[in-house]
Amino acid sequence: MTAPLTLAKRAARRLPRRGVVLRVLPALLLVALAFAGPWLAPHAIDTPVTAPYAEPGGEAALGGDQLGRDVLSRLLAGGRELIATSLLVAALVTGAAAFLGALGALRPAVGRVVERCADVLMLLPAVLGILLIALSWPGGGRFAVIAAAVVMGVPYAVRLVAGAAAPVAASGYIEAAAVGGERLWHLVVREVLPNLRATLLALFGLRFVAAVYIVATAGFLQVGPQPPAADWALMIRENSGGIVLNPWAVLAPSLAIGLLAMSVNLAASALVPRSGRREVTAL
Amino acid sequence: MAGPLSGTVSERVAGPRPRPAGPALSGTLRLAGLLARRALLLAVLLVTVFVAVELLPGDAANATSERGESAADLARRRELLGLDRPVLTRFWEWMTGLPTGDFGTSARGEPIADILSKPLPNTLLLGGLALLVTLAVSIALGCWAALKPGGATDRAVSATATGILALPEFVVAVALVLVFALWTDLLPAVTLTDADGSPASWRMLILPVLALAIPQIGWNVRIVRAALADEAKAPHVESAVIDGLPRHRVFTHHLLPGALPTIAAGIATSTGMLLGGAVVVETIFNYPGIGSVLAGAVTDRDGPLVAGVVAVTGAVITGVLLLADLVRSWASGGRT
Repeated sequence: MTAPLTLAKRAARRLPRRGVVLRVLPALLLVALAFAGPWLAPHAIDTPVTAPYAEPGGEAALGGDQLGRDVLSRLLAGGRELIATSLLVAALVTGAAAFLGALGALRPAVGRVVERCADVLMLLPAVLGILLIALSWPGGGRFAVIAAAVVMGVPYAVRLVAGAAAPVAASGYIEAAAVGGERLWHLVVREVLPNLRATLLALFGLRFVAAVYIVATAGFLQVGPQPPAADWALMIRENSGGIVLNPWAVLAPSLAIGLLAMSVNLAASALVPRSGRREVTAL
Repeated sequence: MAGPLSGTVSERVAGPRPRPAGPALSGTLRLAGLLARRALLLAVLLVTVFVAVELLPGDAANATSERGESAADLARRRELLGLDRPVLTRFWEWMTGLPTGDFGTSARGEPIADILSKPLPNTLLLGGLALLVTLAVSIALGCWAALKPGGATDRAVSATATGILALPEFVVAVALVLVFALWTDLLPAVTLTDADGSPASWRMLILPVLALAIPQIGWNVRIVRAALADEAKAPHVESAVIDGLPRHRVFTHHLLPGALPTIAAGIATSTGMLLGGAVVVETIFNYPGIGSVLAGAVTDRDGPLVAGVVAVTGAVITGVLLLADLVRSWASGGRT
């Protein structure tokens, strides 16, 4: 009699997990499509196939852009770099924040410094931060955008990790390890961080959302990728002049960025651990 | 630099917080403390920006040089711009000039205060309107959702808010232009300017304001909703309900005042996002604000001009954050 009961219990416990999978799936599919996109593109991204701003039909399913290049091919090719850059930014920020946050929980002085940095950065809008770093680093291109996104994202991310790490750092076994003469590095990497896996996974998702925003905005301001590269944000900027002639040249990349931002955000909020989620929605 | 870059609601509103003050400390003293703290943070930002611009390879004189200019010409211009003097002297002059409204000279030799004097009010108008819209709509929607926790309205509002908060402003702007300017022809898609450099008609402000406000509404609805839910758990609210006070009275007299500081902090944090987003939105709608000035400044490598824009926006954000501090201090009756 006990076996089916535990099975049912186990199934009940697994139910929310299935919900998580369902909410993460759209983002995974979209990312996979964007990565496979360049191979699916029917035309080259830099050779004209129709008239400039040609309406959809014939050779080009979504019409032509300002130089008559195939919008569909550029759409398929334009997501990989945006997503790869955002993933890199999210990984770097999460990694740095994990280390600094755990360190901050163990050494309050470090935590205070990071907190002050976040206070100052709050006065600098993201867009101005990107422009400032792009200005100080003329040949930086994509790396300048990555640097800007990492520098401006870390202080906020550290707060989240530090908040989650504080109870862990105060727990008995950490004190025992510290008294036992373990080095700080060992405490951070071996004792504190493994307990924060769920928080770090959620943080990675949230940082990815933020990175998509920053990298796309930089692309729109033409700070990151340069023409003739196919990039969703750059496509919107380049083709906005012909929005009346072929709306798809602007609408398609806008939809792509919108769907990416929304699906990744959905996935990120599904990954936020139970205890932390109350902080997010507090419903 | 908040918004999508800060992860959770609590993370977003966790701004610099006034330290708990002892009961002996008078209100004026506490106010002075808040002011001093905000001013210090702004000063640190300005130092950072000046240093960042100073580290530029190649200075403004180089960036604006024309083809065939001799080395002597360059040196003369460098002298004219004061670039030959020690960094510390220039830094001191820049910082001491700021409070008097003197932002130095741009790479092209014009006073930065003059360059910014026309577009800045336009951007502040755009951002201010967007802030008002954000404030009104997110409080209204947040309260509406909070009235029946877990109900259909609540879930619809929360889900929509989560959906739109991560959208970049230019994506929202494109959608608005398509729907309201191209398909239905209700509103103008570009901003035309009067002779004095301000937008020719108030209708030209609607789409840019909406494009800026919509993602911020997404953030702030969640903050309002969360703040109300937290406050609903407070003992004084519970006792008011048990005392049988009418629902709307509990809401306006017990729930809302307690949630106010969090709401104020959240919306104050939106100021930075609004001013940053304005740069992007102005480009799309051809709006005559600091966005176009900035775009030109980056191409010209005009460090002093960018530093000036950062100084102004930093000061505005500092002001709004200070306002949120005051709301917090007022709403808690000086108990913070």
